[in-house]
Amino acid sequence: MPGATLPLNPPGNAGAAPDWRAAPERGSPTLLRLMTAIALRLGWRVGHALLFPITAYFLLTAPRPRRASREFLRRALGREAGWRELWRLYFSFSSTILDRVWLCTGRTEGFRLEMRGLDDLRARMAEGRGVLLLGAHLGSFEAMRAVADAGCPVELAVLMHEGNAARVKQWADALGGEARAAAIIPLGQPDAMLRVRECLERGGLVGLLADRAPEGARMVSVPFLGSPAPLPAGPHQLAALLGVPVMLAFGLRRGPRRYEVRFEPFEDLTAPVPRAGREEFLRRSLPRYAARLEDTAREAPDNWFNFHRFWGA
Amino acid sequence: MNAMAKPLPTGSEDTLAIEEELKRLIIEALSLETTPEEIDAEAPLFGDGLGLDSIDALEISLVVSKAYGVQLRSDDAQNHRIFASLRSLAAHVAAQRLR
Repeated sequence: MPGATLPLNPPGNAGAAPDWRAAPERGSPTLLRLMTAIALRLGWRVGHALLFPITAYFLLTAPRPRRASREFLRRALGREAGWRELWRLYFSFSSTILDRVWLCTGRTEGFRLEMRGLDDLRARMAEGRGVLLLGAHLGSFEAMRAVADAGCPVELAVLMHEGNAARVKQWADALGGEARAAAIIPLGQPDAMLRVRECLERGGLVGLLADRAPEGARMVSVPFLGSPAPLPAGPHQLAALLGVPVMLAFGLRRGPRRYEVRFEPFEDLTAPVPRAGREEFLRRSLPRYAARLEDTAREAPDNWFNFHRFWGA
Repeated sequence: MNAMAKPLPTGSEDTLAIEEELKRLIIEALSLETTPEEIDAEAPLFGDGLGLDSIDALEISLVVSKAYGVQLRSDDAQNHRIFASLRSLAAHVAAQRLR
């Protein structure tokens, strides 16, 4: 075929636009703007009080995300989820959006941030090769950012899909979070991974949420809460290619202004995985990630912020 | 290595040789199911799900650094152009290698 571009991602699963992009948490942008305005003018307490009607509105008016959440909760709890559990999940989600305003600018007074695995993280950072942090849409990634500021002064960059990156950057700029806005690496630029590598080379942390991927990305079905779910291969391919220590990282919301930030050892790579071993690495790494995600999601089911059909249509 | 018949707008003989070599290296590094002849050197390397992604770019940067000792960096303001096509990447490698 003349004039072909290099066909890396076979358009095999074309037409299967990821559900989360087709129907993202529609609340996010609007809610984020509203929350930010309220939080900045009136403070956390007023913001928190307003979360009740706001959460009720989003819970009651969006049947599709609600169905998806019910499916997750049914699997995680091992029984049908009632409105109580749904409410807790939705309330937790809107709470993290409110809390972001403070966490993202490093204003953690009034917050209780419990750290776990910081020694494990420090030990790996001491190697000087940086640490790749695999997270998920489970809890608040921003909580982690604040902790990195407070207890562990280190360069932290977060990989994000382009649309989200632009929105978050705009928002962070509005908050005056110049340095933090710069620490977002938008996916989709050819040099995104070069930036990742350079940040790691400086001994920094690079976080990415490894439970979703943009359209066209390679997905691998792995067992997750009872059935195979498609998870992106990219984060694990990246880890193999970089050959740096990989940890899991979750910022679980445990109550009002209470977060538990966890860093867990995952894969201590000392060198890039040779090409021949990459598929084998993926086959090991992906199910292990899914298993840890499953355990953590079961432990904190109200932190599951994937409001799309995670197991596919 | 002598240049082939077709004159190139930006290409020197060196660039052309690197271009051909890069095709092979990239096909090998990314395990692409295509032949060097099938790759249009002027077509975009990266793009909407059909082209390469940024992980591939990292892979390519490793290949380029190993084969030519040229480091691709994210702070290069020219990246947009360097990554535009195989031809522009080859031109960049040729230029950097001379320094």
